[in-house]
Amino acid sequence: MEHTAYIREVPDGDKGSGAQLVSAADVRGFDPGDGRISTPSAGRAAARSAGAPAGLPPLAPDRVGPDPARPDPDRVDPAWSEVVEHFREGLVVCDADGVVRHVSPVAERLLPEVSPGRPLAASGLAVLTGAAAEPDGFGHHGRRLRIRRVPLSGSRSCLYVEDVTDSVSRADALLAERARSAFLAVVGEKLGNPLHPDRAAAAVVRLTVPTLAEVAVLVLAPRSGRARWWRATRADDESPTVDSGVLPAAALPPAIVEGLSGVEPHAVDWLVDQAVEAGWLPGLSAREVTARVVPLPGRDAPAGVLLVARRTRWYDDADVELVRAFAARAGAALTTAVLYRNQAEVADTLQASLVPVEPAGVAGVQWGTAYRPSQASLRIGGDFYGAHRLADGGAVFFLGDVSGKGVEAAVFTGQLRQCLQALYRVEPRPGSLLKLLNDALLETTQAHGQGRFATMVLGVVRPHRDGGLSLTLAGGGHLPPLVLRHGGEVETVPLSGMLIGVVPDPRIGEVTVRLAVGETCLLYSDGVTEARGGRRGDEQFGQDRLVHAVTGCHRMPAAALAERVEQVTCDWLAHGDHDDIAVLALRATGPGGRPRRHLHSVPAVPEDPAGEATS
Amino acid sequence: MTAPTEPYRAFGDFLACLEEADEYGAIEVVTGLLDAGVPAERVLLDLVAPAQSEVGERWARNEWSVAQEHAATHISERAVAAVAGYAAPRPTRGRIVVACMDGEWHALPPRLVAEVLRLRGWQVTFLGASVPAAHLVSYLHRHDAHAVALACALPMRLPQAHRMVEACRRSDVPVVVGGRGFGVDGRWARRLGVAWAPDAPGAAGLVADERALRRVPPADLSHLADDEYASLVKRRGELIDSAVADLRARVPSVGEYTPAQWDATTGDLGYIVDFLAAAVYVDDGELFTDFVTWLVAILTSRGVPAGSVAATLGHYRRVLRDFPRAGRFLALGAAATVASGGVRH
Repeated sequence: MEHTAYIREVPDGDKGSGAQLVSAADVRGFDPGDGRISTPSAGRAAARSAGAPAGLPPLAPDRVGPDPARPDPDRVDPAWSEVVEHFREGLVVCDADGVVRHVSPVAERLLPEVSPGRPLAASGLAVLTGAAAEPDGFGHHGRRLRIRRVPLSGSRSCLYVEDVTDSVSRADALLAERARSAFLAVVGEKLGNPLHPDRAAAAVVRLTVPTLAEVAVLVLAPRSGRARWWRATRADDESPTVDSGVLPAAALPPAIVEGLSGVEPHAVDWLVDQAVEAGWLPGLSAREVTARVVPLPGRDAPAGVLLVARRTRWYDDADVELVRAFAARAGAALTTAVLYRNQAEVADTLQASLVPVEPAGVAGVQWGTAYRPSQASLRIGGDFYGAHRLADGGAVFFLGDVSGKGVEAAVFTGQLRQCLQALYRVEPRPGSLLKLLNDALLETTQAHGQGRFATMVLGVVRPHRDGGLSLTLAGGGHLPPLVLRHGGEVETVPLSGMLIGVVPDPRIGEVTVRLAVGETCLLYSDGVTEARGGRRGDEQFGQDRLVHAVTGCHRMPAAALAERVEQVTCDWLAHGDHDDIAVLALRATGPGGRPRRHLHSVPAVPEDPAGEATS
Repeated sequence: MTAPTEPYRAFGDFLACLEEADEYGAIEVVTGLLDAGVPAERVLLDLVAPAQSEVGERWARNEWSVAQEHAATHISERAVAAVAGYAAPRPTRGRIVVACMDGEWHALPPRLVAEVLRLRGWQVTFLGASVPAAHLVSYLHRHDAHAVALACALPMRLPQAHRMVEACRRSDVPVVVGGRGFGVDGRWARRLGVAWAPDAPGAAGLVADERALRRVPPADLSHLADDEYASLVKRRGELIDSAVADLRARVPSVGEYTPAQWDATTGDLGYIVDFLAAAVYVDDGELFTDFVTWLVAILTSRGVPAGSVAATLGHYRRVLRDFPRAGRFLALGAAATVASGGVRH
């Protein structure tokens, strides 16, 4: 019936919303037979009271009374009581003394307490007399009712009683469904990210409270007889308290064991007893608690089980569905995290063997290194450096760069370093050592058809009696090292040579450099000089800027110098992409392993007028 | 030599060691205090930290070169390592990851925080200076961290800091931030919706209270809807180019600048844009005004007239006519150059 639908859209009479005013105006002068009904305001009802008959029924003049000024000749007067009987709204009419004069059949059914001839107050329902406001309706005999009070002429009043049980429950169901989807959306977002298994487990229980439970316990599938658990307990505010621990698998309650085998336990009453007995539900007693256990699906067997418990409400079918949907997502997150951990363990082990090893301590030499792979999530790249102690008290050291990037390049640096580690024991002269390495690499790359090559500087350092160092350097197509002299000037070592691993018997440059105490030799990769940055992000850092950046840094400890080179390079890059960056500095510290103290303050270094404002 | 038992008494000796880049001397000073029974935490907070502030001051006053400042910082780090090695506490609590924001090289303050946390029983991983977000996140995926402590010394990096905080949050790890980059009272941390600690003991207190860590107000960044920040970032190169052109037209003598001087100048012009963008990001003109005041002091101590800063701000303001917020901040900045003694020329 159309008109009832219309009535439902009209808000409660005394609120006077815009919608109602418009609808009241629309229906003015319309015959109720057209399927609509007006909701007269108190004002209009009073205005019309002059022409209204006093008795009851008929009701018609009170509702849509014919305008006496404009009588309608074609009008057929309907039997109003008959029409009213078919309203979905029930109707109760009271006289000026509050005595019930008329009760429609619908009202009779909805409000059996109200009977004609008795005062309305005698029904005992405060909401009917307006003593208690229930704008959202009230529960009555298992139904949800909404009452609208409308004053009529002559101080009489009328109550419209609407049964809103179905629409309210539909709206409730819709809201509940929306809340469930919103919850699952949040869950999807929060569970997708923590890839650490423990973090993921903590996130699972934390998300469960308070939406699904007051206490949530997650038990992971036992590994070697021990089961790890996480528990979230509802606290005063929003964020729950989380704790965790380990249990022997044998101590798990039977319902949990059952859940771990993939079966959702059904006899839920003894589940609560088991959980309380196990001490899992602090502050809750078995009588007041309702609980459920759901398995968290894993790759083959469940990844774990989730126990949810609360006092407030029984878990109905919709709740259990929600817990299962949550468990499915939680299981997927835990499985992913475990998978990631297993993969990452392998990757870490392999990476560890490829990460550059810090140079071994050598008397009179202070080492400084910096390393920044191009791929930030990796710790390895195609640049490499290292140093090995020689039996005569010196050391062989090297820094280089292999062709290619990322993991493949890193694996090649591993092969190269292993080769060197074996070869330096038989050939400590840098030039010959580099040639031997070239032959070895050539053989390997030809055998595998890789076509890989490397550039590198390889040197041997030997301490002198005066505390200085003597460096014999061999160049394999790499950028020439810099030397920071005592007086502050920076020299470029004239070292040339050909790539390693490309042709048999390459030309290898050889140079000998003397470092006095406090002087430093700096090796670096092209990730420094070819770093692209500047205003537009496309200008190369270049050799000149590097020389300028280390000028005046001759008193720096080797580690600080290496870090400075790394910093100025990264500042130049300004978050841009970059190649691998490697720096190796070695500084002559003198025989005691202790640099000579400066007797007076460092003389002022000529500084740019504009300065380096944010150093 | 009998060591003093009050850390501040050793301040002069320690600073002298820093000045001479004397690692062994600096370590002797701190171990002397430790041997005399001074708690390790006090050595770190009452000696190394104030000495480092003094190092920064000396650089700002142009008394020390960048190289000297770097060397001194390195020595301080070695001294911190010595204190940590001396105390060698056994970890009894969860893991805390301490790192500098990407692009942030002031590693000593977070290093001090890391060591204070270690002394209080936490298992601390210090990832060092300028940690890329991807590296930090993959670390968090591999190691179950109770919390992450992130340091930011320059407000210029607040937008990146915000992205990094968000990345940690996505890994479900609570974050606490610190450093002058968030404002002296941590106001910009509140704007970004992240827990802030004023100092190392504050950070230690915060990480011990997991619920406080997780209970942070939401970020208040609705002003970003005006797109001024994104446009500034996009137009950065263009803005610097125009400022260089303006400088050439205004001050013909810059034509004789060496390449290194040009690098330093364009670097400063870029910092102005970056700090302006950061101020727009957190919608606080004071961030920019503070920077301008500081920049004027730095440049003045290096013989660059402050008026050149005011002129450049004026130039940026003309170019950024359609940026009401940035324009307002530039006007405030220009007023600050006058207040700090800059004369227009």
